[in-house]
Amino acid sequence: MDKKDRMDKKDRMDKKDLKSINKSETNDLNSGEAGYWRSFKELYNDPAFKKTLKNEFSPEALQKPDTKNMSAVTRRRFLALMGASAAFAAAGCSNYQDKGVIYPYNQKPEEVILGLPNYYASTCSGCTSACGILVKTREGRPIKINGNPDQPVNKGKICSKGQASIMNLYSPERLKEPMMNKAQLNWGDVTKNVNAVLTSAASSGKEIAIVTHSILSPTLKKLLDEFKLTFATAKVYSYEVFNNSTRVNAWQKTYGKRSMPVIQLDKAKIILALESDFLGNDHNMIEYTRMFVQNRDVMTNNEFNRLYAVEGAVTNTGMNADYRLRLRTDAIEELVMCLLNELAGKKKLSSFAMDSRVTSVFSSNDLKQFAVKYKLDENVLNNLVDDLAKNQGSSIVMGGDKLSESTHIAINLLNEVIGAAKLYSIETENTELVPLSTPQDMDNLVSDMSTGKVGAVIHFDTNPVYNLSPEYKYEESVKKVPVIITLAEQVSETTEISNYVLPIHSQLECWNDFKTRTGFYSMQQPIIAPLYNTRQKEAILLSWKDNKEATETTYKDYLIANWEKVIYPAMGSAVSFKKFWNSALHDGVVYVNEKPEAAGSSYSIEAFVSAPKIKASNDFTVLLQNNNNVGDGRFAFNGWLQELPNPITKIVWDNYASLSVQSASELGVQSNDTIDITIGSRKQTFPVFIQPGMADKTIEISLGYGRTVAGVIGTGIGVNANVLIAKNPSLSDRFYNNAHVSQAGGKYELVSTQEHHPIDSDPLLKDIQFRRGIIRQGTVDEYKKNPKFLRDDEGDIDLQPINTPPPYRNPGFSGFKWGMAIDLNKCTGCEACIISCNVENNIPIVGKDQVYANREMMWLRIDRYYYGTPDAPSANFQPMLCQHCDYAPCENVCPVAATTHSDDGINGMAYNRCVGTRYCANNCPYKVRRFNYFDYRDRVADGVQYAEPMDLMANPEVTVRSRGVMEKCTFCVQRIMKERQDAIAEHRDVIGANVKTACQEACPAYAIEFGNVNDKESNIAKYREHLLGYGALEELKVLPNVTYMAKLRNIYEPLPYGNKEHEKNNNNTEENKKNEEH
Amino acid sequence: MKKFLLDYGIKVRLPIILFVAAASFALTYYITYAERTGIGYQPEQPIAYSHKLHAGDMGIDCQYCHVGVEKSRVASVPSVNVCMGCHSVARKDQPEIQKLTKYYNENKPIPWKRIHRVPDFVYFNHSVHVNKGIVCQDCHGQVQAMDTVINNKYKTTGQVNSFTMGACLDCHRNSHEKFPNLPNLNKGPENCSACHR
Repeated sequence: MDKKDRMDKKDRMDKKDLKSINKSETNDLNSGEAGYWRSFKELYNDPAFKKTLKNEFSPEALQKPDTKNMSAVTRRRFLALMGASAAFAAAGCSNYQDKGVIYPYNQKPEEVILGLPNYYASTCSGCTSACGILVKTREGRPIKINGNPDQPVNKGKICSKGQASIMNLYSPERLKEPMMNKAQLNWGDVTKNVNAVLTSAASSGKEIAIVTHSILSPTLKKLLDEFKLTFATAKVYSYEVFNNSTRVNAWQKTYGKRSMPVIQLDKAKIILALESDFLGNDHNMIEYTRMFVQNRDVMTNNEFNRLYAVEGAVTNTGMNADYRLRLRTDAIEELVMCLLNELAGKKKLSSFAMDSRVTSVFSSNDLKQFAVKYKLDENVLNNLVDDLAKNQGSSIVMGGDKLSESTHIAINLLNEVIGAAKLYSIETENTELVPLSTPQDMDNLVSDMSTGKVGAVIHFDTNPVYNLSPEYKYEESVKKVPVIITLAEQVSETTEISNYVLPIHSQLECWNDFKTRTGFYSMQQPIIAPLYNTRQKEAILLSWKDNKEATETTYKDYLIANWEKVIYPAMGSAVSFKKFWNSALHDGVVYVNEKPEAAGSSYSIEAFVSAPKIKASNDFTVLLQNNNNVGDGRFAFNGWLQELPNPITKIVWDNYASLSVQSASELGVQSNDTIDITIGSRKQTFPVFIQPGMADKTIEISLGYGRTVAGVIGTGIGVNANVLIAKNPSLSDRFYNNAHVSQAGGKYELVSTQEHHPIDSDPLLKDIQFRRGIIRQGTVDEYKKNPKFLRDDEGDIDLQPINTPPPYRNPGFSGFKWGMAIDLNKCTGCEACIISCNVENNIPIVGKDQVYANREMMWLRIDRYYYGTPDAPSANFQPMLCQHCDYAPCENVCPVAATTHSDDGINGMAYNRCVGTRYCANNCPYKVRRFNYFDYRDRVADGVQYAEPMDLMANPEVTVRSRGVMEKCTFCVQRIMKERQDAIAEHRDVIGANVKTACQEACPAYAIEFGNVNDKESNIAKYREHLLGYGALEELKVLPNVTYMAKLRNIYEPLPYGNKEHEKNNNNTEENKKNEEH
Repeated sequence: MKKFLLDYGIKVRLPIILFVAAASFALTYYITYAERTGIGYQPEQPIAYSHKLHAGDMGIDCQYCHVGVEKSRVASVPSVNVCMGCHSVARKDQPEIQKLTKYYNENKPIPWKRIHRVPDFVYFNHSVHVNKGIVCQDCHGQVQAMDTVINNKYKTTGQVNSFTMGACLDCHRNSHEKFPNLPNLNKGPENCSACHR
């Protein structure tokens, strides 16, 4: 190319940029990819975003380091230089041939074979779900946590937090020694001192308060009861930030019992989710996801369920819904009344319709007027009413955790009217061992503490100083208690003010039993010996009760005794206890013959009639959300979770106030501005994020951020939203409709990955005709009429590969060829796969500043494409990973052949050969390659990822990459090699289905399939040949080996941006092209 | 002017060129001479264990001690309790066995000097090779004949073959010539991800 050509090209580029700026004035919706858009910047054709589409790196990524503010030799650098010179000096004297030392075991445990993993069943105690887990260990070190397939609720799957909790075990910031007033002491003295404190408190009639989270263990419950016998003044208080209280209380009022039935969502044809995120962060997400996607399976049946979502916030559930209506949350109760009026009042669907006391409550609620008032789509509401009426007995209304008690009471009636009781399991129900403390209990505790009636307070692995509503004034009051004892894994706001800070085991070092439902117990057993001088929290209580120092077996012995004497005899088992106990630990779950209590199962009309009714206000509504990152703040130490993008906003390392477009413009704020939110006397300042799809005058904020004492990773991340929680909320503790919002005038930079690695599909840029989108979808009706609808346009495309395929040794990929299929009908965007991949493949955290520079290292990302209008968008989630293209464009450009193709179709990456030219990333159309700009383990938070014992967490089967090399998804080649090894050892052929990639293993929706595509009998081959299967950017003819199954929406009308529309777009772009030529 | 340039060339450039050439030659020689690949490496071991005595004279199978070789990626050096299986009875009077007993009683691992080593980024798999019928001696030499080396009884087993990538590929490419006794042996994989991940 000569100089003139280059000039010309530059000229053309400039013109193009001008064009895109002009185009932005037209503001057309069909800008991005066939009407799909990822952010407002894309929707409105922001020239800066257009540029990022064309460029390999964002401007942030190209920033120069600020050398002026750096000292010439940092402390770390100095130490590194000292170390290096010492190493050189030592190397000069020693034998260069020396290859180090091998230390074999002295006595090898029988079950350990070096190089092979062992698996142990246990239970995750990260939240109230108590999912069964199966922990993979190598040479005694736990390296990966997966779900336990034998556990009947989570059936082998766990959420992102459970996956990432392995980092909690190895966190270098765990508390390691017992401390009294910041001075170290030994456990013997702890037992002696505390026992004396407790005894004197009990004898002088002062209360001993134990503050705990939900009590899920029957043995712990027994222990607490015995503790109360020993110390007569002991009282137990339990709280949970993400609680189920309003729902359970409503159930108690309407049905007379607190144990709620299990919902068989797999039998539901119509599901109405009211502010319910049952596919995201509400209770029981894993089981609901599994049941929900069973009726979204294009391989087994074409009878899809239909999901309606009505919500104020934007949740995974809403984005996966077939119909989504945005409605401020305090109007949801009115909607329920309108639906009751339609179904019971007008259609007279159930016997309740005859009761004038009931009908008079909602007879004035008119659905039509309601729709007009809140600008809801009337057609959708009519469809909803018809569907609910037609599918009696197979439809259900799911109310969210945050809704008020009165709304849940109304929802219970609506469920009665539509016959949802048929979906309640008769086999099993949720149990509640000990109800949570009421706000009144907690208030009494605090006032007792401030008036000196409490002699000692024991924080049983809780952080009430941070978690509780500021209205309790907990911190002020607790300081008046003479002895504050905190049992904790890591430092917290509560350990700061405690006299005794006692380190406890992580969940992988504990013994316990859990009971969340009738019919079975989940067992917890230690997977590793305690890493530090810690004790199990239950054992510490036991040691005080018995005034005997806790040892490693204290609680284990207590647990076994309880089982041997109480639980096992009641089961009437035929096997001996020892055998029974071993098999219980082996399976991780014990089935017992129990049935739900029959008492009180008819709906109490009284409860419905007497329940107070919510009146929608004109103020702002605030929703305090759970999230898949830090939970209630207990995972703030976990860098993997802090860096996991929010499924919807894709923001990392922060929380923020999500606002609708309209509300933001009314307030006069943009994203990254700050606002003050005032609810009563409680006030906090938050950064703003404008989130398409939020209901107007509704704000959504994640809890669990803004920790002030949470180690080097968690401290000062985000803003503390707990301060907005009221002591006695009128609606529910995470939902308020009386907030006042004003501009705060500040700026705060939020970092989102949503515009990172955008896929360049702008037809203007390519010579090839773009006929196919990255996301393809249709409706169920369309698919039934014409199963080939996706492939209608096939045949008339003349595909030309964008690059010359290299001369492969096995060009046809005969024999073995690995491939993946991802069913977009099932993927809910929960991101469990991302964390699973991080853990399996030793992926480091990079920190907020590096994510800002587009340098996140996650091999797997979930792209979220909106479509529709900014007010009412829908979204598609698409997991994007290396596609292992047959004609991989990255391979041609590597100057050192570090990335090459294997005979079985894997695009391999040899790190030790890579010299870091980054040409491959430049040439990858999917933007899935990640470059190590730094040694991130060393760089983030002063090298916390290199601190001991974090190195024990690494998967020994995968290289830990250092600075300067490129990396990307390997299709979990280490697992493929393990299958190959097993096959050779067993003298059989490799079976593709035996290999489960880390993402596939984790997916709660079973959306990922992996295997040998040449095995025509296998699932993966069937997916690849399915009529809904397509490859992303197929028109490039790089022949990707990840097949996506087009998403089918179960809606009545054609999609606004379906394939027809796409055709039209292409015509538009052709016209554009012509215009450009002129 | 010209003279000055010539001067500069002789005084500065020429010595630099010569130095660089000499240094590169020396460095290349140092890096590539045979001993660098470790052939003949016989470090001093903490206990004068003889493979010749155990595997050769007494005919104990390799896998009696190296238990992982058929099942796992690593062959594994035996744990002390495997040795003590016999030596809690046999030859208790020998000084070397007394050393072994001391390790065992103190519950300490024996710090064996490592002889064979591939870099960390290589995931060599013993079980795949052994289960295909390739015997230990094909790579490790006639270990059963290796005994104490003259003058130093602490040096026992040594490295016979080079463990470079070239050596791996030599067999993977020419498996039939290398192993005529294994007619069913496939060619070994040559793609990067077979060993590097």
